[in-house]
Amino acid sequence: MAATTADGNKVDEAVGGEKSKMITLKSSDSEQFEMTREAAVMSQTIQHMIEDDCVDSGVPLPNVGSKILAMVIEYRNRHVDASSDSAGEKEDLKSFDESFVKVDQPTLFDIILAANYLDIKGLLDLSCQTVADMIKGKSVEEIRKTFNIKNDYTPDEEEEIPRENQWAFE
Amino acid sequence: MECDGMDALPDGVVQTILSQLSNARDVAACSGVSRCWRDCVPFLPALYFPRSAFDAAGGADDAIGRMVEAAARLEELVIYCPFSSARLPRWLAMRSASLRVLELRVDSAADKAAAAASGAGSAHLDCIGVVSTLQELRLWGLTMTRAPSWGQMQRLRVLEIVGAHLEDLAVSGAVHACPNLTDLALLGCECAGAVSFTLPLLERCRLDFVGSGSCALTLTAPQVESLEVQGFNWIVLQGGDRLKRLTIAKNTGSVYSVGIERLPVLEQLSLRGVQWSWGAVSYLLQCAAEVRHLVMKVEFCGDFDTLQPFPEVDLVEFFNTHPKLRRFEIHGAMFAALCQKNSLKNLDSRFSISSLEEVLITVRSPLNAEQKLITLESLVCCSPRLLSMVIRISQMKNCHEASDEFFEEICKFAHVNKGRVRIE
Repeated sequence: MAATTADGNKVDEAVGGEKSKMITLKSSDSEQFEMTREAAVMSQTIQHMIEDDCVDSGVPLPNVGSKILAMVIEYRNRHVDASSDSAGEKEDLKSFDESFVKVDQPTLFDIILAANYLDIKGLLDLSCQTVADMIKGKSVEEIRKTFNIKNDYTPDEEEEIPRENQWAFE
Repeated sequence: MECDGMDALPDGVVQTILSQLSNARDVAACSGVSRCWRDCVPFLPALYFPRSAFDAAGGADDAIGRMVEAAARLEELVIYCPFSSARLPRWLAMRSASLRVLELRVDSAADKAAAAASGAGSAHLDCIGVVSTLQELRLWGLTMTRAPSWGQMQRLRVLEIVGAHLEDLAVSGAVHACPNLTDLALLGCECAGAVSFTLPLLERCRLDFVGSGSCALTLTAPQVESLEVQGFNWIVLQGGDRLKRLTIAKNTGSVYSVGIERLPVLEQLSLRGVQWSWGAVSYLLQCAAEVRHLVMKVEFCGDFDTLQPFPEVDLVEFFNTHPKLRRFEIHGAMFAALCQKNSLKNLDSRFSISSLEEVLITVRSPLNAEQKLITLESLVCCSPRLLSMVIRISQMKNCHEASDEFFEEICKFAHVNKGRVRIE
């Protein structure tokens, strides 16, 4: 590609125009979302796809529905903008994160799965921590009930457990 | 993607979620939820046993042993509940390859009695030496009568001991076994005698020694940036070249001498105590020429038992030798020293305290009232950048007319300089 110094934009493109390039993401239900390359590479998965050069016609994400993809994009845009170290911005970001995860359980798990698939560490940590906070202080039965978890212990195994961990149930 | 709840999450994700838990109760509860959850326990990085964890049911030692054994990749272990120190060697040996952070409360009464009986006050700490990967160690409430046999804890970066009874040679020996510390804190520790620490990588250090005996400190730490010490009568610091923040305090008794070569980058200096040798005070003030924030809360000087007020300090010379001073807090004898007959003798119209922005002064006695007011006025007039001067009126020693008059004068002064001066 010929580089022209007269027009700044042209020079940018010639060297790969990192920041300004837009990436198209396609959700499982075929909706399209645009985002900047800078925000997109917060996902390790997408970054690898870009490096492998298969994103010209958009990045297909068959595992992520449009509703969740929209939320993930919102998260990434917010976090990629907040690069300053100021205390005020950190507070704002913290509030944003706190409200972000105030969603119902199914949505929360969908966010976790999307963050896991797209390999976005910050979002995965945030959403997993939220679930962990819901586990804290609960008894075995309460945990099972909260998350609708199937008890796959045999009756014999079940008897063993309380004896071993009696102290935790006092 | 439709999710059927927690059960449909891949194992790796469940592990990530459960790894955020460290409270031993929560971990024990999770083990009982389902097989899949129980299988995640070996991957948990941290276990924390709170103080009251076994108060109701007992069985601490067995439960701790079981859980530490199950957590094959344990990196952090915190035990605040009472436990038998005889079990500690086995627990640490099990996790000696992965443990990075260890915090123990070692003051259980049973151990103290056993230790006193056997005469070995530190035997149970020896086993910590087997954890070669340890980076952070925090110990609460221990008694150390001899240095523990740790060999060389090369990886240890953070050492904190709180509320301990330490023999001076024992603690010097313990620190000697940790040559690569970056952070050292010995707080609320009863110790007397002479302690000596040589730490080439030390950056932050807090020492708070309580108790009635005299105490001397020799610290060789060329990289130290922040140093806070309380409780030493004699202090020698080798390596003030990087020091930015220094606090020296002595809550009871006296500071006799402070030996420091130079403090070229010192930004904050705080001197506190009942009695300091004037030689020590003036030497430190001399070294701290670049200081921006200075707190002086020393009541008296004097090299012997007699408590004496500070000698006169020349105001102009003081501020000229500390040109970067922005915040100045004066309690105790320093203000009186700046208000002596000849303190203002060099004051002229060209004099300016160009950096001073905030001043906090505690005024206690109405003695020498006129001179004090002149000094206050001079500080305000000569400081073009002054944003605030706060005058704290502490209990006046002589409660009679002179106090009231003085107080009124100060109020007038504050009123005239409203916006910059206020009284607390």
